[in-house]
Amino acid sequence: MKENMEKIRETMTPSIFEVFEKMFYIFLEPLDIRYDEYDMEAAISFDGTISGDVRILLSRNMARAMVQNMLGLEGDGITGQDMEDCSKEAVNMVCGNFLSRLDSTKVFNLSSPSFKEPGDLESGEDICRMDFDSDNGKIGVIVRSL
Amino acid sequence: MSFNLLIVDDSRSMRAVIKKTISMSGFKMDQCVEARNGREALDVLAKAWVDVIISDINMPEMNGLELLEELKKDSLLKEIPTIVISTEGSEKRIQDAYDLGARGFIKKPFLPEEIKKVLYEVIGVSDEGEYGEDKGDDDTFDF
Repeated sequence: MKENMEKIRETMTPSIFEVFEKMFYIFLEPLDIRYDEYDMEAAISFDGTISGDVRILLSRNMARAMVQNMLGLEGDGITGQDMEDCSKEAVNMVCGNFLSRLDSTKVFNLSSPSFKEPGDLESGEDICRMDFDSDNGKIGVIVRSL
Repeated sequence: MSFNLLIVDDSRSMRAVIKKTISMSGFKMDQCVEARNGREALDVLAKAWVDVIISDINMPEMNGLELLEELKKDSLLKEIPTIVISTEGSEKRIQDAYDLGARGFIKKPFLPEEIKKVLYEVIGVSDEGEYGEDKGDDDTFDF
């Protein structure tokens, strides 16, 4: 299980970097310490040769920066709906990118992304948790393999 | 010559970013209509002619592959070049899209240059807007 989690971490990290750099122009640095003060989360589940879910945890500042950089909106022009939409699109792209890096010969089915306040920031053997910092704030990524 | 585009994606943000990317690329776009899924796309196509369709795969109600199947059944609609733009990275899903008639595939996340390149390839227009005459390979953008 520990080896699987390490493989997930190694595969997921470049996916997160690629999505945030290409779509949101945000450059992330891995954090060595765990951070728990997030304001929102977007999640998606996947099913195929392996199943599980991916959750992205975001600070409000980070979500605003994502909207600003992706859509060119600023200040009062950024709505809660924009932040939800961008966060859901981010988790969708991160999960799709991760799965194609994991095995591009296999087909995985992805659920529709969901958005809510952060739930339990659980930990355990089947959980891979990563936190990242940037000029715009922090993000956390949790991958759960079933 | 300018072109009418149909962007099909359930994410409002993604539709907006695709539209923005295309207009900034210098592509001569006349009208750009949007749909949230394949069903809405077919409704749009029943009322208006478009020159290119850009469609996501994973959408509620009718997904992008089902939309391609419907287009393939119609003698007129099947002639509209369709580009699939998706987080789907599996070789099988990409091949499925091509088998159903897609002319191009762009994987999300994408760079603006990738959309521009595929769009010009599919529609058969060069950067200069001349059919079949590519007058350079400068894919850069002036943001």
